[in-house]
Amino acid sequence: MSVSLASTTPPRSDTPAQPGESATVTPFPVKVQIRNVGFHYGKFEALKSVSLPLHDRRVTAFIGPSGCGKSTLLRILNRIYELYPNQTATGEVLVDGQNILSPGLDLNLVRAKIGMVFQKPTPFPMSIHDNIAFGIRLYERLPKSELDDRIESALRRAALWDEVKGKLRQSGLGLSGGQQQRLCIARAIAVQPEVLLLDEPASALDPISTQRIEELIAELKSDYCIAIVTHNMQQAARSSDYTAFMYLGELIEFDETERIFTHPREKRTEDYITGRFG
Amino acid sequence: MAVEAEMVAIADTKARRRPAGRAGDPAFRALTVLFATLVLLVLSGIIASLVQGGFLAFAQFGLNFLVTSVWNPVTEKFGALAPIYGTLVTSAIAMLVGVPLAFGVALFITELCPKWLKRPLGTMIELLAAIPSIIYGIWGLFILAPFIQSHVEPFLIATLGNVPGIGVLFAGPPLGIGVLTAGFILAVMVLPVIASVMRDVFETVPPMLKESAYGLGATTAEVVWRIVLPFTRVGVVGAILLGLGRALGETMAVTFVIGNSHHVNPSILQPGTTISAALANEFTEAVGDLYQSSLIALGFILFVITFLVLAAAKLMLIRLQKGAGAAA
Repeated sequence: MSVSLASTTPPRSDTPAQPGESATVTPFPVKVQIRNVGFHYGKFEALKSVSLPLHDRRVTAFIGPSGCGKSTLLRILNRIYELYPNQTATGEVLVDGQNILSPGLDLNLVRAKIGMVFQKPTPFPMSIHDNIAFGIRLYERLPKSELDDRIESALRRAALWDEVKGKLRQSGLGLSGGQQQRLCIARAIAVQPEVLLLDEPASALDPISTQRIEELIAELKSDYCIAIVTHNMQQAARSSDYTAFMYLGELIEFDETERIFTHPREKRTEDYITGRFG
Repeated sequence: MAVEAEMVAIADTKARRRPAGRAGDPAFRALTVLFATLVLLVLSGIIASLVQGGFLAFAQFGLNFLVTSVWNPVTEKFGALAPIYGTLVTSAIAMLVGVPLAFGVALFITELCPKWLKRPLGTMIELLAAIPSIIYGIWGLFILAPFIQSHVEPFLIATLGNVPGIGVLFAGPPLGIGVLTAGFILAVMVLPVIASVMRDVFETVPPMLKESAYGLGATTAEVVWRIVLPFTRVGVVGAILLGLGRALGETMAVTFVIGNSHHVNPSILQPGTTISAALANEFTEAVGDLYQSSLIALGFILFVITFLVLAAAKLMLIRLQKGAGAAA
């Protein structure tokens, strides 16, 4: 649970580093343990031996300049990278102690357990109802009433129910951008995952929709282990409990969000969050 | 001061250029309107001359022209049923065989094919479309027809031919030359058209959309059926229609292998004819006004069929789009 980085990068003299001290006392157990994860796009090394924990029922934010590998890391966590040739991940990702990178695992079950929401809303070309039902139907054969209940509860959880309850049969493409993104979140949680990966979920949205998404994240973290990639410092500061700062494929610093934003141990972290580079 | 002077200078040149732009714009507009009108003129001209040319036949035979299959230049009795029937049936066979094949090819190229094979395969499919139809005709006559006669048709007669109901479709001796062979040739010819359009359409699906479905744990097949196809259905129908358009109007290759017989035979193993094959075969020998007029009337009917197919497809697409959110 300790942060391995601190041992490899000397702390600044004025702030004595206490790597992961706060993390060890947390009442929230580690859900996902990322261990020495590396990643290659062909010959390009996008991630270099990244290790950190994701705590259950907590939000972990990944920040860093574009191309630092934070989205790549997220794409490893549900193995979506495997859709493309020449992309290879090394190391271990333990979800409840089970390495999901081991080749023998049922990929579809891994993905059912680990939901993902993308940068841009990606409603499927079908009705709102069917968008949510899509994932459920992949795993379960539910009677109609039960299915409808699940859909309603997913939409409620995603704070979308009141806006769409009268038009579940209409196309999901007809919703606004913010609604579409909440639809995608509802779709992700409808399959009852344990981990939720959000890749810049609000980057394509207006400020009000962004706020709603952030409120939603705060709501959802009581049930899920959430990892969020964001370019927005305030968003990371507001909505996460832990923050990981990444730079050029390396994890520079990982700690409680409050600590990262008030007393970063690393000069590069401080420079980044204060806007001096990145 | 200097900036102001510069701005004035810029404004001046703009003002000086304006008049030319004002005069040029209407001219450009008029030119494009002319081009657009030209297309309409040519289209209506073709329709008008088809109607005029076929008028004699329609006046002579009336609606009977559409429902009789007599085609006797000697007694000057003409009916279009056989070529209409042949056109529709050969095209239907071509679609039945060609669409699933093209669909599979396009899916393989976009979703499953290893990267190094993608380009060569795509290029070869497109080259298939570049083969002149006369070559297909020769190939069909000398290679495909004998093969079908010795292998495919005996098998069909022995199996499907004994099934009550549809057995009549596969009756008669295996001739090799006939409606089925023409349908197969057409299938090969429409395959590249449909496959390459479908491939382009499938590639418009945003990767993120597919990733979302995969991210929920969907398999490739589920992603294809539930995401890729619904997302691209308009384009897919368009691709099929392009193929159908080619199949309906294809002349040379069909003329080689269909047998050119003006008989409506329920068996697809027997010879028949299509509208375009009849036109290609008989125009040079069409002596007599009524004979020629009947052929032009055939052309008009082909035009109408193609138009109806396109219109039906449009209607279908509109309905599909309206129902985009309908329950599955």
